[in-house]
Amino acid sequence: MPTRQESIDFILDHFENPRRRGRLENADLVLEGGNPGCGDVVTLYLKLDAETRIVDIGFEGEGCTISQAAASLLTEHVLGRTLREVAEMSPDPLVDELGRDVVSTRLKCATLALNTLKNAEKQYRNGQARAEVQAT
Amino acid sequence: MSASYAHPEYLVDTQWVADHLNDPKVRIVESDEDILLYDQGHIPGAVMIDWQQDLNDRIRRDYLSKEDFERLLSSKGIANDTTVVFYGDKNNWWACYAFWVFQLFGHTNARIMNGGRKKWIDEGRPLSKETPSYPPTNYKAQERADYKIRAFRDQVMAHVLARGPLVDVRSPKEFTGELIHMEAYPQEGALRGGHIPGAKNIPWARAVNDDGTFKSVEELKQIYEVENGLSPDQNIIAYCRIGERSSHTWFVLTYLLGYPNVRNYDGSWTEWGNLVGAPIEK
Repeated sequence: MPTRQESIDFILDHFENPRRRGRLENADLVLEGGNPGCGDVVTLYLKLDAETRIVDIGFEGEGCTISQAAASLLTEHVLGRTLREVAEMSPDPLVDELGRDVVSTRLKCATLALNTLKNAEKQYRNGQARAEVQAT
Repeated sequence: MSASYAHPEYLVDTQWVADHLNDPKVRIVESDEDILLYDQGHIPGAVMIDWQQDLNDRIRRDYLSKEDFERLLSSKGIANDTTVVFYGDKNNWWACYAFWVFQLFGHTNARIMNGGRKKWIDEGRPLSKETPSYPPTNYKAQERADYKIRAFRDQVMAHVLARGPLVDVRSPKEFTGELIHMEAYPQEGALRGGHIPGAKNIPWARAVNDDGTFKSVEELKQIYEVENGLSPDQNIIAYCRIGERSSHTWFVLTYLLGYPNVRNYDGSWTEWGNLVGAPIEK
């Protein structure tokens, strides 16, 4: 179990050295989310294979340290997962890795990116349905 | 020569704080929007007070009780005679918010550090990652006096009907209803956009210089009095989206310009913009 300071250092490392930060050109899905409580915003870019497995992910965003660090950490958790698997993900492993003690008062910030990503499956299916309608 | 603020004793500069870092009668309090800034480095000896965790009731949309306020201040080593100096991020929004909550409980021995966290850092002053510990006190608060400096929705409605002065401190696009939150922030929190009828739009940011310090009294009078017709004899209500930016303007009007009757409507637009049947102007 990491100490509070170790958790803070872990969060700051993700905040200052974000993984996969940036827009993906030709992304298959772009998802936007926000937390009006403290003004965090995040945009996720996904590339998918035929089975909706995430083969690449990038993010952009602004906001508090926790929200942006959590988005960075999320990108490490979801590569290789299908959108269905993502939709069923529990936030607990993410929150525990960030340090529950540190982020417990800002759970909306800590789970903003994940909750945004959970919309991916629905958005993907809606896009497919629209494409089918246009094709007929 | 520049005139001084009406109550300059409620404002201190960064040098004053640097000179009082080891003063046992002074407690420095950081209040931020970004809760981890304190852990990344704070003024040596400063304690943190979080607007969500510490100042808000955990269940209701309201502030902490008198008993919880006493427990909070006692735990931070703040006694009834301690001078509390607030500073924080976002041009001291949350510092002013915390200052305002302290006034609800009558802790008048309080100050704002002009320029906030950014100015302290920009000046190359020391930061510490050590969380200080102070001997607990036995703080005794007065009952929360909501009626003096806090406005509730029914009072705001009566104020509208009486054509009393209202100051909407949000950005112009929030005021017109084009946005319901600041630019680049999630556009959520209220079902309707616009402003409370009769309100004047005086964005909070007009009160500060580029370095985050407050403008001079002459400049503030130009903005609030000459351009917008406010005067010290008025009963004024300020609001924003959730009450933090309007705390900043409340501080300016009350302490820098010396208006004795200014209230902060902390329900602000997230309440008014969701109220069924409430009048709205665009």
